Amino acid sequence: MKDLLATVKQNVEIAENIYKMTLTLPESAGELLGGQFVNLSTGESAQLLRRPLGICLADGKDISVCYQLKGKGTKSLAEAKAGDRLKILLPLGNGFNLKNAKNIAVIGGGVGIFPLIYTMRKNSDKNFYMYFGFRNKHAVCLLNEIPKCKELTVVTDDGSYGGKGNALDAFLQSAPQVDLIIACGPPVMLKALKSALAEKKIDTPCLVSLEERMGCGIGACLVCTCKKTDGGNARVCKDGPVFDINEVNL
Amino acid sequence: MANLSVEICGVKFKNPVIAASGTYGFGREFNEVYDISQIGGISTKGMTLEPRVGNPVPRIAEGDSVILNAVGLQNPGVESFIEKDLGYLKSKGVVIIANVAGKTLEDYGKICARLNGLVDFVELNISCPNVKAGGMAFGIKPESIKEVTRVSKNSLTKTPLMVKLSPNVESISVNAKAAEECGADCVSLINTLTGMVIDLERRKPVIANNTGGVSGAGIRPIALRMVYEAAHAVKIPVIGMGGIASGEDAISFMMAGAKAVQVGTANFTNANAMPEIISQMNAWLDGHNIASVNEIVDTLTLNG
Repeated sequence: MKDLLATVKQNVEIAENIYKMTLTLPESAGELLGGQFVNLSTGESAQLLRRPLGICLADGKDISVCYQLKGKGTKSLAEAKAGDRLKILLPLGNGFNLKNAKNIAVIGGGVGIFPLIYTMRKNSDKNFYMYFGFRNKHAVCLLNEIPKCKELTVVTDDGSYGGKGNALDAFLQSAPQVDLIIACGPPVMLKALKSALAEKKIDTPCLVSLEERMGCGIGACLVCTCKKTDGGNARVCKDGPVFDINEVNL
Repeated sequence: MANLSVEICGVKFKNPVIAASGTYGFGREFNEVYDISQIGGISTKGMTLEPRVGNPVPRIAEGDSVILNAVGLQNPGVESFIEKDLGYLKSKGVVIIANVAGKTLEDYGKICARLNGLVDFVELNISCPNVKAGGMAFGIKPESIKEVTRVSKNSLTKTPLMVKLSPNVESISVNAKAAEECGADCVSLINTLTGMVIDLERRKPVIANNTGGVSGAGIRPIALRMVYEAAHAVKIPVIGMGGIASGEDAISFMMAGAKAVQVGTANFTNANAMPEIISQMNAWLDGHNIASVNEIVDTLTLNG
């Protein structure tokens, strides 16, 4: 884990209110796993918390993260220009461990697609069956960065791009023969995924990446707790963000 | 290189920069960023006799130059600390300050007795704003500060007692004196101020607990004033904290009368905050031809 002063290489709006920022690190941060994240300063000194953002692309010393313009922090990030320098702590969290799985279903909703794209790119020897859902055609982005997939389905809530519907329904309809499911998206999607797997008695292993408001990002402050099914707490930043879907309450 | 070592209640610190409770766990995670044996001491995550799961999430929010937290004392319990973390911290050669909280006076007595002789200090958390029972209830009125200090001190025959004071009070001087009178060996301040941040769209507080403890650079002037007042009200050592993020911030607290400082929120803003603060203090002292950090303690003179 390193805290580095990175230089903004590019920071552009790639879809409505969605930005992609590419930063150049001064040195290698070591191997970055799909599903791991970084803690990025916003560049605004009055914002004391860094923003946890999933790794979306990484190429040598260049690393890209994507974010949705939502509050003051992401507004500051969106104002960053090429050449600006931002502190970045990385790599954080456990990431997706695909183990021996060969055929993998990938379910992504909204901004949840970004860590999934990097996970697929990092594991090009696997067969991916990918289901991505967006709000509407204006939110669709980064499809050009998706590596070759066995199946690639993009849907929107209003049908303005691809089919009409959500990523989970697209996956359930297609029902691909896979030995692992990985998912990242809004809490409501992950919750529905858990219920659907239980209802349909699908016992394929499933890994989900969670999101929570974070403090330190490294597991020390116990701010980003999630509830485990055994009754205990887990730290989303350190024990996660990726968990077995049966291990956590959604 | 200035001499940064300090001695408080007979305990030697290699430098006066201590990690503040709740921001640093038991040190292991920050040790993945830098070797934590560089820092002066660690005040542990607040511990209770039994494990606690803490509050619902979200537990954190941000304001301008401040953050708010309401973790609610999630911790593995004191036995887990003794079994799993104490040895690790000892191996790191840092001063170990066990931060403890209880729901009742009896809890404080018991947890202090359990830690007596095992750690370098016990720091009483009587000022946590985020738990319903105990916590801050003990830390507001001088009468209850006296009671909890007395009970804790009775159990601590071998370990110095540090009482952490709340800023959410009528008079910090009166409360510091109350702690001193009933056996506190030193006091630390300030804990967080109680605050709220609202999500306008949902018309609800951001934090699940509704209110949270405000910390960070924005509270620094308030903390500094209170540290000055406390340091001039008591004879026992004062450990200052509240928004310290640089070596110069730390120096200012020591000038106001603190013998050491604690660093909390800055650890979130900058994972390397503590080693950087230590080297900045060194540079400041060298730049002012001051041989030892002790020479700056309580050197503030007020405007006439």
